[in-house]
Amino acid sequence: MRALHLKLLRDVGKMKGQMIAVSLIMACGLTMLIMTRSLIQSVESTRNAYYERYHFADLFCDLKRAPNAIGNRLAQIPGVAAVDTRVVGRMTLNLPGLAEPADGLIHSLPEGRPSQLNLLFLRRGRLPETGSRNEVAVGEAFAKAHGFEPGHEIAAVIHGAKQRLTIVGIVLSPEFVFESRPGETLPDNRRFGVFWMNERELATAFQLSGAFNNVLVDVAPGQQPAPVMAELDRVLAPYGGLIAYTRKDHASASRLNDELRVLHGLSIAFPTVFLSIAAFMTSAMLTRLIRLQREQIAQLKAFGYSSRQVGSHYLQFALVIVLIGLSTGTVAGMWFGGNVVSVYKRFFQFPALTFHPDISAIGLALLVSSGAAFAGVIGTVRQVMRLPPAEAMRPEPPAEYRTSLLERLGLGKLASPAFRMILRNIERRPAQALFTALGLALATGIPVVPGAIRDGIQFILNFQWDYAQRQDITLGLLEPGSASALSDIQHLPGVLSAEPFRSVPARLRFGHISRKLGVIGLPRDATLNRVLNEHGRPITLPPHGLLVSAKLAEILGAKVGDNITLEIQEGKRPRLEAPIHGVLTDFAGLAAYMDLEALHRLMREGSTVSGAYLSVDSSRLTDFLSRVKECPRIASMAVKDAVRGSFQKSTAEMIGMIQGLYFSFSIVVAFGVVYNSARIALSERSRDLATLRVIGFTHREVVGLMVGEIALLTLVALPFGLGIGSLLASGIIHTASTESVRLPLVLTSRTYATAVLIVLTSAVISCGVVSRRIRHLDLLAVLKSTE
Amino acid sequence: MPAATPEPQPNSSSPPEDGRKPLFSARGLEKVYTSGAGEVRALNGVDLDLYPGELVVLLGASGSGKSTLLNNLGGLDLPSAGTLTYQGRDLAHADEDTLTRFRRDSVGFVFQFYNLIPSLTARENVALITEIARNPMTPEAALALVDLADRMDHFPSQMSGGQQQRVAIARAIAKRPEVLLCDEPTGALDVKTGITVLEAIEHVNRNLGTLTVLITHNATIADMADRVVRLSDGKIVDIQRNPNRRSVRSLVW
Repeated sequence: MRALHLKLLRDVGKMKGQMIAVSLIMACGLTMLIMTRSLIQSVESTRNAYYERYHFADLFCDLKRAPNAIGNRLAQIPGVAAVDTRVVGRMTLNLPGLAEPADGLIHSLPEGRPSQLNLLFLRRGRLPETGSRNEVAVGEAFAKAHGFEPGHEIAAVIHGAKQRLTIVGIVLSPEFVFESRPGETLPDNRRFGVFWMNERELATAFQLSGAFNNVLVDVAPGQQPAPVMAELDRVLAPYGGLIAYTRKDHASASRLNDELRVLHGLSIAFPTVFLSIAAFMTSAMLTRLIRLQREQIAQLKAFGYSSRQVGSHYLQFALVIVLIGLSTGTVAGMWFGGNVVSVYKRFFQFPALTFHPDISAIGLALLVSSGAAFAGVIGTVRQVMRLPPAEAMRPEPPAEYRTSLLERLGLGKLASPAFRMILRNIERRPAQALFTALGLALATGIPVVPGAIRDGIQFILNFQWDYAQRQDITLGLLEPGSASALSDIQHLPGVLSAEPFRSVPARLRFGHISRKLGVIGLPRDATLNRVLNEHGRPITLPPHGLLVSAKLAEILGAKVGDNITLEIQEGKRPRLEAPIHGVLTDFAGLAAYMDLEALHRLMREGSTVSGAYLSVDSSRLTDFLSRVKECPRIASMAVKDAVRGSFQKSTAEMIGMIQGLYFSFSIVVAFGVVYNSARIALSERSRDLATLRVIGFTHREVVGLMVGEIALLTLVALPFGLGIGSLLASGIIHTASTESVRLPLVLTSRTYATAVLIVLTSAVISCGVVSRRIRHLDLLAVLKSTE
Repeated sequence: MPAATPEPQPNSSSPPEDGRKPLFSARGLEKVYTSGAGEVRALNGVDLDLYPGELVVLLGASGSGKSTLLNNLGGLDLPSAGTLTYQGRDLAHADEDTLTRFRRDSVGFVFQFYNLIPSLTARENVALITEIARNPMTPEAALALVDLADRMDHFPSQMSGGQQQRVAIARAIAKRPEVLLCDEPTGALDVKTGITVLEAIEHVNRNLGTLTVLITHNATIADMADRVVRLSDGKIVDIQRNPNRRSVRSLVW
C-alpha cells in the first residue's frame, strides 16, 4: 500500500488550496465546538468544585430582624443540613479618585462558631480577627478595580455612621462569583463592592445586636427544597421574612447559569451548520477528483487492487481534510477559549479559572467531522468501488447540457451566450450551485449576529438612558423617609428637579406562578424616570392596577386585564388583587410599577419615599457629590453617565471579541466556498476556457465568464444570507435573553452593509487568486488532450 | 511518411508566380523548450513564407515541430529566436494583448478534439466569436457554409464527431479570418467523416480565399494542398509545390 500512500500524498499536495479551504470551514465548526464545550466544562467543573468546597448554600432568605435563637429553630426544620444566620446590609463608600460615592454589601462573619456556608476563599491577607474593630475583608473584583491591598483604609458610611475601615484580606465568595449589585447585567467593580466584617461589630452598626437579618440554608442530600422553603417562610414571617429562594433565583448563580445556557446553544448550532457546508464541499471536491482519475482507478483495479482498497484510498482524502480541520479547530478553539476565559475572569470571580481543553470534545469533534466528511463522500466512493475497470478506461461521456429555464420560458433572447453558459452550468449541477449559494448565504448571515448584538446594546443604552431614565442621578435612602426627606434632597446643591419613588419588596402571584421583586411607586406625571411602551411612548400610570414588564407578564402567563395577587413583604404585609393595566418595554430585570399614591394607600402610609430621581445642574455636580458623600442617610447613588460609561467599556471589549470571531468565520466560509467552487469550475472547464483564450478572448473576458457564475450565485445568496443572518441573530438573542437581561433585535443597514461587504471582498479576493491560474493555463497542453 | 533527410534547407521563401506579398514570413525561427530533462529544440531555424489564399499542409513525424510551428504562427506561443512577421508586423516579440488581438481578428483555429463549449448550442458556439469579431458573418451563414444549417440548435453532446468538427470550422471562419490553422482536424474521425470535414475546409479556402495551414499525419491529404511542407527535427526538409491540386472528393486513402 505504500505506493497508494505516495499517490495520496502527491494528490493532496496538488489540491492543497482546496483541501485547506474545506478544512478551514470544518475548522470553524470544530473551533466553536471545542471552544464552547471546553468552556462549559471548565466553568462548570470549576463552579461545581467551588460551590461544593466552599459550601455554597441551597436556600437564601432575607428578613427584617430575628433573634439569634431562631437560628436553632431553623436548624430543626426537617430536610435542613446546615443553617447560617448573619447580618447583611448596604453601605456607602467615599473613595479617592471617584467623584460619586460607591456602595457595597457588607456581611457578618460568625464569631465564636465556625462559618458553615458560603465560606470565603482568602486570596491575600487574613480574615478580620475575633473582637477586632473596623477590620474588613473585601471582594477581589472591587479590590482589583481600585488597587486595594491588605493594610489600605477606606472611608465608609454604615447605617448612617461614618467609619474608617481597614482592609485586612482580599477574598472571594461562592455567592459573588458575579460580583455586582443584584439584578445588574454587567459588574461595575469600581462602584460596587462586597465586604465581610465581624458579626458583633456589624450587628451593632445595624442595630441588630443579638439578631440576624439573613439566612443561608443547606438542604440535606436527597431532600426537596420546596417544603423546607415553605417552613422557612412560615417560621420567619413574624420576623419580617421575605420569601426564601433557591440558587435558581440567586443573582450571581443565575447569571452564571444564563451564560452556560448560551454556550450550550452555541455548541450545537454552529458546528452543525459549518460541518454541513464542509461535508458538501468535501463531496464536491472528491467527486471532481474521482472523475478526473477514472482511468487511474481503472488501472489500479486492472492491476489487482480490490474495490475496497481503491475505495479506502479515496476515503483517505476525506480523512486528510478531517485531520487538518481537527488540528486547526483544536488550536483555534483553545486559543479563542483561552481568550474568552480571560474575559470571563473579569466578569466571574473564581479562586482559579483556567481553560481546560475538553478532551472528550476533541473526540466528539473527530467523530462528527469524520461523520460529516464521510457522509459527504460515501456515495462517490461507492461509485468508484462499483466502477468496472473496462468502463473506467474509457473517458467519461461528454457533459450533457440543455437549455436553461429562462430559455424554455422564451426569454433566452435576453441572455448573451456567455450568460447562457452560466445559467446552463448552474442548472446542470443544481446541488453544487445550491450549496455554493447556501455557503455564501451563511457567510453573509454570520456577521449579522455581532452587528445585531452591538446595535441591540446601543439601542438599550439609548432607550434606557435617553428616553426612559432621563434623570442624571438616582438616590436611594437607607430607610424609607418622609416628605421632609424629599425636601432635603431637593435642597441639595445643584438639584434642578427631584421626583420621589417608593420601592417595596413584594411577591407577585398569578395562578401558581410567582416572582419576587420590588414594586415601584412613581408619581403619575413623572417626567424623569418614565415608564415606556414598546413604541417608546410614556404610559401614564393608572390610579389602580399595575404596569409590568412584558417579560414578567410572559413568565406569569398573565395578560393585560388579568388580576394578579400582590403580596407586599414590608410593613403590615398587605395583600392586594390588582389588574395588569399595561405592559412596558424594558430590557433588564423584572419590574412592576404602581401609581405612587395608590402604593401609599395600600401601605397605609403618608408620603413615604425610598429615594428620588434627580436632574442636577452639571456645573454644580461636584458640589452636589461632595455633599452627598457627607450624607449618612443615603444608601446608594447611581450617576447615569458613570453607569453608562462603565457599561459601554465592559461591553465594547466583549463585542470586539465576538465580532472578531464571527467576522473570521464569515471570511473563512466566503473565501473557502468561492475558492473551492471556482477551482472545481476551473478544473471542469479549463479546456473551454483555454479554447476561448485561443480563439481570441482576452484574459479578462475569460475570467469574467468563470467568475460570472459565482457572481450570480453570490448575488442570489446575499439577500437570503441577510435573511438567514437575521434569523440567526434573532435565535441567538432569544437564547441569550433571560430575566436579568434582554436584548432587542435591532437590525440596521450598517450591519447588513458590513456583512455584504465582508462576503463580497472575500469572494473577490478568492476569485482573484483563482483567476491568476487562468493566466497560467497551459493553452497548448489543454488543447492537445481530451481531458 | 517519407524519411527525414538531413539535406540543406531548401529555399522556401521564393515568391509564387503571381508575385503576391507573403502573409507570414519566418526567418531563422527557433523554439527551445527547457524542461527538467534539459533543452528540447522544437524548431531549429525555420525559413518559411505563407501567401494569401493558399492551402499548405505540414507533414512530419511526432516531435518534428509542426505543432510548434503552427502555434507560433497562430500567436499561441513565442519563438526563442529568429523573426516572424504577419503582414509585416512583428509577432516574435508581441505582448500578450497584441497576440490576443491578433488571434481574435485574424486567425481561426480548428483542433483535433473540436473544443466546443459543451454548454452552448452550435449556433451559440459560433455566436461566441461573432460577438467579439470586427467584421463577422452571421452564425447562421457560417454554419450554412459547413452544411449544418439544420443542426444549429443542437448541443455538442447531441452531435456526431464530424458534425462537431464542422461546427468548430464554422466557429473558426465566422469572423472571416485571413488565416485558418487546423491541427490534425481529422485525427479523431473516421475516413468518411474526415472527408466531410476536409471538404468544409477546402470550401472555405476556395471560396473565401483564406490562407489555410493544415497539420496531418496522413500523406494522402497532402494531395489537396497547394504546397506540402515536410518537417523533421525542427527543420523544413522539403517543400513541394502541387501543380495539380486535387479535390478532397478524389482523394483515396
